[in-house]
Amino acid sequence: MGTALNLVFITLLVATAILAVFARDLLAAVIIFSVYSLIMALMWQRLQAPDLALTEAAVGAGVTTVLFVVTIFKTRRREEEEGE
Amino acid sequence: MKNLLALLFIAALAALLLYVVANMPPMGDPENPTATHVIPRYLEGAEEETHTVNVITGIILNYRGYDTMGEVTVIFTALAAALAVLGRERRGRIYAYVDRSGVPSSVIVRTMVRFLVPLIVLFSVYTILHGEISPGGGFQGGAIIGGSMIVFTTIFGLYESSRRIPQKVRFPLEGAAVMVFFLVGVLGMVGGGDFLTYAWPKAAAALHPALVTWLTVLVEIGIGLGGAMVLTSILFCMIREEEEIAVVA
Repeated sequence: MGTALNLVFITLLVATAILAVFARDLLAAVIIFSVYSLIMALMWQRLQAPDLALTEAAVGAGVTTVLFVVTIFKTRRREEEEGE
Repeated sequence: MKNLLALLFIAALAALLLYVVANMPPMGDPENPTATHVIPRYLEGAEEETHTVNVITGIILNYRGYDTMGEVTVIFTALAAALAVLGRERRGRIYAYVDRSGVPSSVIVRTMVRFLVPLIVLFSVYTILHGEISPGGGFQGGAIIGGSMIVFTTIFGLYESSRRIPQKVRFPLEGAAVMVFFLVGVLGMVGGGDFLTYAWPKAAAALHPALVTWLTVLVEIGIGLGGAMVLTSILFCMIREEEEIAVVA
């Protein structure tokens, strides 16, 4: 049970990490990244590091996401297509 | 050709990393070098030496106090850099793009936020003050306060929230984390110990353990308030838009 859950978390972690890099829409990338942080927070909790889980959930999933979104709204949302 | 070279390089790097990881001691093994030297000392001595029930807080604020002080300085430097580039918001003429959003927030959202923000702040106060007993502490609580300010700002707008926490409140508190940390460190020296040891050997023996706990809690409060205000100020200076000064004919 525990190992299966760990496997699910790690698979989701790798999947969200790859998706966040490859997302063309920067807003989508930021949201995926916050999902990554949330899963990471769950992982910290499973590794019995509740202090880190709290930090990751508050800073990683909360504050940095908002700061990234603010930056995107202040600049441009889509990544430049190559060769155009 | 170039891609192939890059691929080869990455493959070699991956092979090297996997090889190193395979040779690392297994996770959670009690025979690990990390688990045989420092950790037993922390686990056995933390409560007696740092007078904090939560060993993590004892390690972060006491054993590795220098490290944490550096982190606090880093956060303050981040704020200083953001302010140097973007500038502080000016009262009265500011707004954020959320204020001018075409989708106004509904009554339900406003009511829920008004109801939830005090509860979030309450939880963060608990996290800060309970840091030396249970998981949590200054950083976490400060980040949660920052998060509640972000929620409030996105719903009620920059004008409202900068009226609630005006600059004259944030100004002195932004440096609170660094200031309190340094002050408590120096207080330790005044008390006859070393910098940042919290130890007061010259103080009355009965007062000594309680004093260490109080100083730890003081540092937690400083880090919490400072972190919260730094995050709020960074958010404000990032989302602010300034009203053009209307030319009065």
